[in-house]
Amino acid sequence: MSFTKKTGGKALDILQNLPRITLANLRAEPGTKKAEKKRGRGQHGGNRSGRGHKGERQRGNRPRLGFEGGQTPFYLAIPKYGYNEGHSRRAQYQPLTLNRLQYLIDLGRIDPTQPIDLTQLVNGRGVTIQPQKRDYGVQLVGEGAGIFAAKVNIEVQMASEEAIAAIERNGGIVTTGFYDPRSLAVLCKPVPFFLSGQPIPKRMLPGEDMVPYYTDAANRGYLADPEKVQKARIALAQKYGYILPDISKDELFHMLFMRKDPRQIFFGLSPGWVVNMVEKKILKPTDDKLLQYYNS
Amino acid sequence: MSLPFIHRSAMLCRGFRASLNLYDHTTTIRLRTLCSSVGEANTGILQSTEEYKFVERLIPPSRVPIPPKHDGPSPSGWTPPSEVPPALPYMIRRSRMHNVPVYTDLTHGSRKTTLVRKVEGDIWALEKDVKEYLQQLTGKDLPTQVNEVTMTLRVKGHFDTELKEWLVEKGF
Repeated sequence: MSFTKKTGGKALDILQNLPRITLANLRAEPGTKKAEKKRGRGQHGGNRSGRGHKGERQRGNRPRLGFEGGQTPFYLAIPKYGYNEGHSRRAQYQPLTLNRLQYLIDLGRIDPTQPIDLTQLVNGRGVTIQPQKRDYGVQLVGEGAGIFAAKVNIEVQMASEEAIAAIERNGGIVTTGFYDPRSLAVLCKPVPFFLSGQPIPKRMLPGEDMVPYYTDAANRGYLADPEKVQKARIALAQKYGYILPDISKDELFHMLFMRKDPRQIFFGLSPGWVVNMVEKKILKPTDDKLLQYYNS
Repeated sequence: MSLPFIHRSAMLCRGFRASLNLYDHTTTIRLRTLCSSVGEANTGILQSTEEYKFVERLIPPSRVPIPPKHDGPSPSGWTPPSEVPPALPYMIRRSRMHNVPVYTDLTHGSRKTTLVRKVEGDIWALEKDVKEYLQQLTGKDLPTQVNEVTMTLRVKGHFDTELKEWLVEKGF
């Protein structure tokens, strides 16, 4: 049914029939405007105007905020401790709930028949990553594990145990991979990077503090031993009480097992290549030194 | 101290790459094995158009995609609008992201309102229905404000989940 719109509707009809609106016709809704308290106009001639009797109070000379009359104030008595020291330099991971991931898949913003990457998540406007603000990627959070029902091959930067269990329960695969800040910027916004004409950089390996995380099979790290990862999948299935589906017999088996090389940023594109978007071509180097560098 | 660590991790990585048969070998590094070159350019550059399909996958779409067909509510709780618009004197369109346009607002730190946008047709009939429904739910007669210019309805209090369910039930 299509409805014709008459802007203003009944209000406009009423207005056209009433007399002209002037200040004499208007008043506020009773109860919206409260009368202002007038200082110095009270009983017995007002006198002190709400300032009290003599002293610092009436004379407007009270000491600074936090002063406790000479006693060591609270803000000086408590010792300092570096709880927030270096907070602006800590790595941040934007959370992605399973609720949100399911919503994005249901609305067709993310394609579950292709491997899900941070680029796909950003393109589907699922998450917003700011590499310049110490974001190191996205973390998968277990909220919505109960309703999650999609078989996906997803690559994130961190994942909680419940999230890994929920995805593997549905026959999917989770991998955690590290992206250094430059690679992350390239991954999140590939088009401006390709237009800049630079060769695709090789992804750096994680720093000392993150190597234990990415080599651990329990976190499905990209540097972990695949046999250990398989054992961890079975162990997790036993812990959470579900039967681990056999992926090798799946029709999407090839897609589910697609994984990136630790030095690769994009699927199908190697480091060292230059993408020409105008002519839709890819330029590859042939010089030995360059090949050696990009292949290391 | 850090050097042997990095070396070890690089060795680890290479070792795993060799033992791994799960990686997508057809399109990863080893440039020597790839021999696709369409038109040799000047000094030592190979040009190719075969891998460009991987680049096309990376380009973000500029339009909101149409959601796939679902029978009833999807696993995340999203319900598509019914095929036939309900036979009511008003219509509430979906937002551009295909959601029901009911929003909550908090002004002055404690003033809660619910806003229903994108209304077409007889907005006063919608106001009457909303008041009746919320009367049944809360037992209170809630103040509402109809704006005929922007065709929106504002209700005092936060009722976004209730109103969304109610509108979806009606088929909007």
